[in-house]
Amino acid sequence: MSAPGVEVSELVVRFGDFTAVDRVSFTVERGEVFGFLGANGAGKTTTIRVLCGLLLPTSGSARVAGLDFSDGGKAIKSKVGYMSQKFTLYPDLTAGENLAFAAGLRKLDPGLARERTRELLDFIGFTPALTVLVRDLPGGFKQELALAAAMMHAPEVVFLDEPTSGVAPAGRVRFWELIYKLAGAGKTVLVTTHYMDEAERCGRVALMRAGKLIALDSPAALKREAFPKPGAAPSLEDVFVKLVEGADR
Amino acid sequence: MSLLDWRRTLSISRKEVRHVRRDPFTLALALGLPVLLVTFFGFAIDFEVRDIGLSVHDQDDSRASRQLAEVFSSSGFFRLQKAEDPGRLLRELDSERASAVLVIEPGFGKDAGAGRGASAQLILDGADNTRASAMLGYLPGITAAAQARLLGSAPPQPARLRTRFLYNPELNSRWFVIPGLTVVVVGLLAILLTALTVAREWENGSMELLLSTPVRPLEIILGKLLPYVVLCFLGAGVVYLTARLGFGVPFRGSHLLAVAAGAMFLLACLSWGLLISVATRQQQLAMQLSLISGLLPSLLLSGFVFPIESMPPFFQYFTSILPQKWFMIVARGEFLKGAGVLDLAKPLLALFVMDAVLITAALKRFKRDLEP
Amino acid sequence: MNRTLLAFLRKELMQTLRDPRMRVILFIMPVVQMTVFGLALSTEVRDIRLRVLREPGDSAMARLEERFYASGWFVPAAGGGETDSDATLYAPPGGFRRAMERGEGDVQLIVDAVNAAKARAIEAYANAILAGFLRSGLGPGEPPPAIDLDVRVLYNPAMESAVFMVPGVMSMILCLVTIVLTSMSFAREREGGTFETIVSAPLHDWEIILGKTLPYILLGLVDAALVITAGVLLFSVPLRGPLWILALSAFVFIITTVSVGTLISTIADSQQQAMLGGFLFLFPAILMSGIMFPVENMPPAIAWVAHLDPLMYFVRLLRNVLLKGGDPWVVGSNLAVLAAMACGAAALAFKRFRQTLN
Repeated sequence: MSAPGVEVSELVVRFGDFTAVDRVSFTVERGEVFGFLGANGAGKTTTIRVLCGLLLPTSGSARVAGLDFSDGGKAIKSKVGYMSQKFTLYPDLTAGENLAFAAGLRKLDPGLARERTRELLDFIGFTPALTVLVRDLPGGFKQELALAAAMMHAPEVVFLDEPTSGVAPAGRVRFWELIYKLAGAGKTVLVTTHYMDEAERCGRVALMRAGKLIALDSPAALKREAFPKPGAAPSLEDVFVKLVEGADR
Repeated sequence: MSLLDWRRTLSISRKEVRHVRRDPFTLALALGLPVLLVTFFGFAIDFEVRDIGLSVHDQDDSRASRQLAEVFSSSGFFRLQKAEDPGRLLRELDSERASAVLVIEPGFGKDAGAGRGASAQLILDGADNTRASAMLGYLPGITAAAQARLLGSAPPQPARLRTRFLYNPELNSRWFVIPGLTVVVVGLLAILLTALTVAREWENGSMELLLSTPVRPLEIILGKLLPYVVLCFLGAGVVYLTARLGFGVPFRGSHLLAVAAGAMFLLACLSWGLLISVATRQQQLAMQLSLISGLLPSLLLSGFVFPIESMPPFFQYFTSILPQKWFMIVARGEFLKGAGVLDLAKPLLALFVMDAVLITAALKRFKRDLEP
Repeated sequence: MNRTLLAFLRKELMQTLRDPRMRVILFIMPVVQMTVFGLALSTEVRDIRLRVLREPGDSAMARLEERFYASGWFVPAAGGGETDSDATLYAPPGGFRRAMERGEGDVQLIVDAVNAAKARAIEAYANAILAGFLRSGLGPGEPPPAIDLDVRVLYNPAMESAVFMVPGVMSMILCLVTIVLTSMSFAREREGGTFETIVSAPLHDWEIILGKTLPYILLGLVDAALVITAGVLLFSVPLRGPLWILALSAFVFIITTVSVGTLISTIADSQQQAMLGGFLFLFPAILMSGIMFPVENMPPAIAWVAHLDPLMYFVRLLRNVLLKGGDPWVVGSNLAVLAAMACGAAALAFKRFRQTLN
């Protein structure tokens, strides 16, 4: 079990003439919380979709949990949990029915599914009744339930695509506690986000710009590198503005 | 404080126009679909039943029996064929090879020659009523023709019927179909176009945003209806030109009256869709309700094909809740009869009442949702 | 059974059936609509409002008028105006009997021909009544007819409209309900973002498409059983053929319409487009089914469209099985065409679905 969680080298994804991801390489270790930043259309979501087995790379290689794309992404899908930026539960089903459907999608044995549901609800600290329609749940609970649904099959790698957009600040704090708990349990977590305070919480962050990876390090190291003058206390945002300007030049 | 502010109403309309413009598929459908459907079905629909398969089992095989069969074929309504298996004549009908079987028994020619009243048996397929009643309608003429043919000369007729057909002397079924089809298609489109408007805004949350502004419910309702009234009018206008120029349907009434009634009709259908949208607040349900409440009733109960006068009395009243029924009377009256305001007072009044009721209902329902 | 399919089945049924309004749409509306259409619709032209203009002393004309009303087709027009009547009968000037004796007893019939088909029927009825009147000896002596057609109407001897309409209405309703249920299925998953969840699971494409269609085939079958039972019980439509053929036909037909609905939902970008797409299929399908007007004598340039209409084949099948007991050749050929359509539509939907994945 020494293979890293995610291993990407020289990854290229093209849609026709448009290069969405341009020779990106990085490695994410197990138990790491890895942040993905960049403007809309910078290539974060495309990269994540490849790593979830939803898209095939044009060239380059990617291994997720030690598996590659030789079977069209099917094996990868079974090791990966994906929670997309759009809200991915059925509002007209109850919390329990949503989890049951997630279990069915992964062909879990009913007994195992029940056990996992209990575990996960415990894990996310879900207090409302399972018979409540998702449409009637408060926003934060919906997001946590969506995470539980994505974790139903005990994936080794979890991709969270802007998981907290539209969630109240208190809910975001709770959600990040969950993310740490996941990493602590040995899962590899990749998160994309717009919020700088969330980026600060990642072990390492990767900054994408026009399909290219323009920076990759821990937040503290990135700050040091961009503003080497001692005593400077730049925010992560300042760092990224500077890095993006540098990349555009 | 006035009841409604036109500026705000128009800004709601503008937003709706932008939404429609961003969806060229819907726009093309609203403008092109009525013309396409009316043209296509204008050609396709023909109520005259021709080319009816008639299997002949002639056991007599005399001159008279052959003449009888010939009369059937020269009527132009029947296509003659020999019965395949005389032992199992009903199979001709069961297998749908023929819609009627003519059985001429031996002795037919002898009886006819002797003037004894020769009889032949005609078995009709009653599984298709339209065809069976058409055949029954053709029979008196065919019997008379056979009489004349077999006896050499027509019997003296002391009395005859001279028929004159008003409004449509050549019995062109297109003149009947096209105005009716226009009503059905434009009405359905109007229902479908507005059915999702409000439901969509509830579903994606933009309704809450709209309600946080000082816009009033009536302004939202009217603002949403207006662009679709214009859109449907454009669609109807194109259909009108197609009917007049393409199919040569006469227009004998007043254009002003037709436009006024048309506006009332469109408003009724659009409010019908809007009411569904407001009441369901959910796109899928709105779509299902509008198709189910709109499609079959307006095709079957509006008088488009099945005459309302032939329905049992209860249903003649029941169909009055359909705006299509009333505008159908107006459309046919205006196109073919040149009816005036007084002739159409009842349908016009009915349409007006429907507009008032449907808009009020939509507004009421909408206001109820807004209360905390 | 495959666990994923089971999960889909449970999920789709829950989503469809939880809302009480949906249950009404699915299980009550079809029966209500069938009852209304079955009772209301009639192909027969009846209660024709007749106005007769004759001189008060014209007793022959009065007897002819009586015969018109006695026929059951005509009723006296309520008002005296032209717009209150469908047809007007004008007696010959100087009295009907005297005119007949002169051999020129022309009775003029003016028919409102806005509805051409109805006008034609009115003329035919009037001719038959006049001929009967002359034969009955009330007119001056005429030899009995030398040729007599002994007419028998099979399968529906009383020519009851319901027996004719109900099978047609059944198939319209089944088509409507299945299309309405399915034409938004994928469009809705995509708009709601849940499509991503489904495709991120390690599933075969066929599992997804079966999962999204199978529940609706089942619901369609339940509805088919409902309307057929209601038709047979409420309208005493005969069931002369074997039930299993009926069930098989309904099954194949529902697969076809569910596939068409699913195909629409894979093409549509939004729920609005899905709805308009559904309408675009339903409207011609219903008009061309042969229920509302005869499809046999359509111009050939247009007739080919009718031959693409699954509803037309299903109506034929239903009528043949219900009223005629199911002729092997008719059932076989129509069922074969429907089955081919079902395969074609399902294959198209599947193909289109795979395209949307990439």
